[in-house]
Amino acid sequence: MQSVNMLLKNFVRCSAFPFAVQHGMKKDLFGLCRTLILSPCLKEGSSHNPSEKLDLDEWKKVMKSGLQEVSETVSEHEELSTLAAARETVEMWRLAGRSVPENISEDQLKTFIECPSKSSKKKYLKYLHLKELYKKNDKRKMDEKRERRLETQDKASKTDEIKRNSFTCLWANAIDKTHNWRAAQAMVFGQPLVFDMSFENDMSPREVTNTVRQIVLSEGCNRKSVDPFHIHFCNLKENSQYHREFMKYYREAWDKLLITVTDQCYTNVFPKDKIIYLTADSPKVMKTFDHDKIYIIGSMVDRSIKTGVSLAQAKRLGLETACLPLEKYLLWNTGAKNLTLDQMMRILLTLKDTGDWRKALEFVPKRKYCGFVGRSVHELKKSLSLMNTLKHGKRQEEVRKQFAKNYSKKLTQKLLELCSPALLFQKCFC
Amino acid sequence: MAFFSQTRQQGMQALLGKWRIFWPALRCQQLFAVSFNIPNSEKVSYFSFMTSSGTALPVDSKGTDVFPTKKSAEIEYEGETGWDEESKKISEEKLHFSSSEAPKKRLVSQVLSRHKFAKVQPPEKPLQAEEWNRLRENFQSPEIFEDVMFNSMVRCNSPIDVAKSLLTYVAKSDGDIRYNLLIKYLALCVQQQKTAEICDVYDIMKIRFKILESGAYNLLIRGLSNSDQWRMALTLLEEVKKIMTPSRTNYESCIKAASRHQEMNLACELYHEMLAKDLVPTLDVLQAFFDFSRGMKDAELKKELFGILLYLRENQIHPHRTFMRSIKLWFESIPGENWRGHLTNIKDSGQCPVCYHQLEDSDLTEREYNNLRERIITDVIHGSDTFRKTSPQEFEAFQTFVEDRLPFDIVIDGLNVSHIKPRKMQCENLFHAVNCLAKENLRLLVLGRKHMLINSSNWKQEIMKEMQNKADFFFAENISEDDAFLLYATLRSGKHCKFVTRDFLRDHKACLSDSLTRHLFRKWQRGHQIVFSPSAKGKHIKFLPAFNYDCVVQTTGDTWHIPYKDTFEERYSYEVPRKWLCLKQK
Repeated sequence: MQSVNMLLKNFVRCSAFPFAVQHGMKKDLFGLCRTLILSPCLKEGSSHNPSEKLDLDEWKKVMKSGLQEVSETVSEHEELSTLAAARETVEMWRLAGRSVPENISEDQLKTFIECPSKSSKKKYLKYLHLKELYKKNDKRKMDEKRERRLETQDKASKTDEIKRNSFTCLWANAIDKTHNWRAAQAMVFGQPLVFDMSFENDMSPREVTNTVRQIVLSEGCNRKSVDPFHIHFCNLKENSQYHREFMKYYREAWDKLLITVTDQCYTNVFPKDKIIYLTADSPKVMKTFDHDKIYIIGSMVDRSIKTGVSLAQAKRLGLETACLPLEKYLLWNTGAKNLTLDQMMRILLTLKDTGDWRKALEFVPKRKYCGFVGRSVHELKKSLSLMNTLKHGKRQEEVRKQFAKNYSKKLTQKLLELCSPALLFQKCFC
Repeated sequence: MAFFSQTRQQGMQALLGKWRIFWPALRCQQLFAVSFNIPNSEKVSYFSFMTSSGTALPVDSKGTDVFPTKKSAEIEYEGETGWDEESKKISEEKLHFSSSEAPKKRLVSQVLSRHKFAKVQPPEKPLQAEEWNRLRENFQSPEIFEDVMFNSMVRCNSPIDVAKSLLTYVAKSDGDIRYNLLIKYLALCVQQQKTAEICDVYDIMKIRFKILESGAYNLLIRGLSNSDQWRMALTLLEEVKKIMTPSRTNYESCIKAASRHQEMNLACELYHEMLAKDLVPTLDVLQAFFDFSRGMKDAELKKELFGILLYLRENQIHPHRTFMRSIKLWFESIPGENWRGHLTNIKDSGQCPVCYHQLEDSDLTEREYNNLRERIITDVIHGSDTFRKTSPQEFEAFQTFVEDRLPFDIVIDGLNVSHIKPRKMQCENLFHAVNCLAKENLRLLVLGRKHMLINSSNWKQEIMKEMQNKADFFFAENISEDDAFLLYATLRSGKHCKFVTRDFLRDHKACLSDSLTRHLFRKWQRGHQIVFSPSAKGKHIKFLPAFNYDCVVQTTGDTWHIPYKDTFEERYSYEVPRKWLCLKQK
């Protein structure tokens, strides 16, 4: 019985299937095969070998049978327009499980087609995909929130109590008003802070949008602070990219913002000798925050690190420059020393209010540094360098002199007596 | 496992050994923990497996300590597949080289990806639908069960029937098979060279989808080009062209297939088409040409192959050892021409020890010189903004300074040279270098920055004064780039002028906008840069002379000299091979 079974099965497999596959499966043949395979004599086959009964090519039939009608519509090979082809390609990539957006608009498609290289196309699609995910998540959260609120409202309506309160609930409004008062005061008496808007040509469109977002954040921080700056946007040309992006964010509030916007250069607005241009490339380190200087922040996001662009600007105009004393106060770990504009804003506001570098530099992202430079660490570094010089015995005289400046004579003598580094170490810690 | 008796333990060991997935757990738990989350980038060094701090996640105790009661191991799986998970190169035993890729990295990445999905063990025999169903239900996240299973099948190179049975199960339960599963199945077929299956999948895909995407095309073309259906790969290539630019690997597969079947004209056609599309051919493609045209007597073809050699020359590509061997064998197989190839090392003199031929010198032509100088001024010194590296006034001052004192023989990067020996005072180092070079009555120019003029512990003014009698000095602003001045002064002085710095000048080369100029720059740098030998001990500074021959593929008609890379190690762009293939006609 079994041998017959096998024979039959093989026969079916060898003859019908390849043939069927080659020639697009006629339905009646299909039926025949199915009955053959599902016929009871086959079913009785060896139960101890389950794979025996498997028809391995059945998936092909399933794929093809349901699609006969579809194939007729598709098979008309019309030439796809580039847009349609791109849309199709993106769709196929989505099916293949790559990170591409589900819905893509015409404009985005055009941008996608204009991407110069394959990798830039991939990056752009991934960006859209992530954006889509964020949107979805936000929407989900909003819905959940709404549901929760409705539930609480239901509960609240049941317990209808009259609350006594001396304040009317106009919090947001009132707070906005106070903020605006402060900002208005800053417009008159505040210390100017300039955002230099002259880097549009050095940035990609996406970098410009990022820049504007950061500036909007900084403006928000400034408004909420106790003693705001008087913000100037200088070199902001009408209808430039910056301007268009700002309009996207602020809309009609743009004209009511309590800041000064000008297409003039800051050198025309302020006296040159009072201006300090803040840039990470500056050779000069800022020691203290000066209340009667005008600080300038270059509004630029450089994802592709372009060194020296803002420094070049300052050099061209012959301005004084400064950088934050990050090295001095922080044990730098990783990342570039250029900070985002809103971080700069927060740091400057804190400095203005307190003058405390430690507090101010709290706003540097935590991932970028290991900790604050404490005295002990400073001394450790010094003693380490001293040890090295002692070990190599070079220029001992100078080292002694330097050391004598820093430490008491007693300690120096002791140290020089001790030649073993370990002991020296302990001494320094004492 | 301490409470197990000895025999029990051995049984366990054997059992675990059978399920390959648990080897790491036996060897070292840490290693296993790490294999959970390996970044998909190729930049991770292989040793990150050994460290447990950076990449290790907390170990999922379920995964490592609990023994499975069923066939499938249930271990967490993050549903992330990389962009090119499907169309990723399946680890063939052959390495693909190109001038821009480091093969070593590729090896590493294969090792990485092997560990990446070490999560599910595919069954060894085709399963029934019920069995698949059971497996699926026991899997932690059933919705991605098929994907994970297929991934691991591709990884373990499971028999194709197992994959088919899974497809059948999916088709029966859903009435349809998702595109990404089809692709994974296709990858498995390509891996095992099942041509008939590849064609079937292609037919199904064509019926089902209007167009395919690059991953599927890559797989199809590669799979078909290695079979006797290779002409189909060519039609597919045409299809790809309708919707996108084919990748260079697509062309590679087709060209190899064509040349394997001795269709050399077709291969050449494809090759030129590829070059016209600005695709950089892999060295594999070029090697295939030499491999498959061995012993042919065809003047046209010979011209093509010489063209390839000239392509190597123009792009300063050095073939690796196996490619070099192919070239040698092809030359020696040309009927009636009597070529003989020898491997040799060429010394600093630039004379080939085999045929005593003097190699080309690395001087540029007058036009190339002027071109390079102009480009250095526009791209490197000015760039997008002159103020970034210097200022217009300063550069003008420098130009007049150089014009007044032309020509120099050697231009020295003062600050760079002053750091040769960290134990010594910087001005001493510079003083030694200047003395060393000034002996031969050469005109020297030293470039520095203004802070060197201020008396300090490192810059003693009396020594500086003494030096200024022996050489001309130019001091740039402290925030200016002195390297750009160095290049300008050297180029302005003419062909004989050399410069001294340890800097590789990579960032300046990167400022040049087109590759042709970059190649010129490298060539010029090799011929004109003097570096000091690293092991310069004692008082005297030793200088290594600049190369006086050019390290590119070169010919005189009856001889060819081809530099080649001996190992697969990545070379920096400033390093040049010392090994050569010398071919000459008897």
